[in-house]
Amino acid sequence: MADSPEKRGWIGRIWNAIWTPTVVFSTGFLVLAGFLAGILFWGGFHWTLELTNTEEFCTSCHTMETNLGEYRETIHYNNHSGVRAICSDCHVPHEWNHKIKAKIMAVKDIYHELAGTISTPEKYEEHRLSMASAVWKKMKASDSRECRNCHNFDYMDFTIQETRAASEHQRAIDENMTCIDCHQGIAHSLPPGYLEEYQSVTEKLAGKDTESSHQQVASDSEEIRSFLTTRAD
Amino acid sequence: MLEFLGTLGANIISLPGILGLALGMMTRRLWLGALMGGLVGVFETLIFAHGNFAGIGAVDLMISVVVGLCAGTVGSAIRIKGATV
Repeated sequence: MADSPEKRGWIGRIWNAIWTPTVVFSTGFLVLAGFLAGILFWGGFHWTLELTNTEEFCTSCHTMETNLGEYRETIHYNNHSGVRAICSDCHVPHEWNHKIKAKIMAVKDIYHELAGTISTPEKYEEHRLSMASAVWKKMKASDSRECRNCHNFDYMDFTIQETRAASEHQRAIDENMTCIDCHQGIAHSLPPGYLEEYQSVTEKLAGKDTESSHQQVASDSEEIRSFLTTRAD
Repeated sequence: MLEFLGTLGANIISLPGILGLALGMMTRRLWLGALMGGLVGVFETLIFAHGNFAGIGAVDLMISVVVGLCAGTVGSAIRIKGATV
């Protein structure tokens, strides 16, 4: 038996109000009000999401100081043209579904910040390989989707690249390689044993096809990073 | 687990969740609402794989379809409960 309106609690009264047809507003008013409210809520949500993409937001945590320092030494931070790639350009996908997934998964970063998982340089170094490995796995699986937001083989002019870069990029196209196969340490320092770890990542993703994955791991990431950093100066 | 939660959340506030709910609200038939939501789930996964069937992950597709089915059903339930037409 249903309770009388007087006996209902506040949740019951709200529930009842939601499902009772309105008599004070016209359909047009409700449609317009709902439309405007939708724009405000969606715009606000999207705007807030974009605020979490700023470099200031990403580096506001104490534990991000180490990788910020490393990134500041790279061509993505400082270069002759002044075009920069900030944290979110490499770590947050542009497409909505992938972006939301990345944002939800990034909640773990707050937990680890609070738990102090990488709060000291020693702890940071201890976790560097596993953190790098997680990013490589994502990049390899997505065919370096975030790199390709700016870089595209189709528009690379190999004639104005260094001979070695041009030949390696041509090889990458021919062998269906992806950016992260060679550029693992492009923005952050590489931990010891990175090559073996990257090989393991590619093998896991490739499943049984371990032979082809062996061919798709470049062994000179450190050299590439050093070259690009020098060129940026 | 985190991967699963991320995919689930992304689908809820993406096409399967929002469009699925909206399409569900267009009918009083629960099965039809669920069907339309599920189709949006398939459609969305295909869009984000750039139309490449080989690029679709089975788990991603499954989560997307389930979210679409649920959203479509909830949409139809809202129509039943909240409208007289």
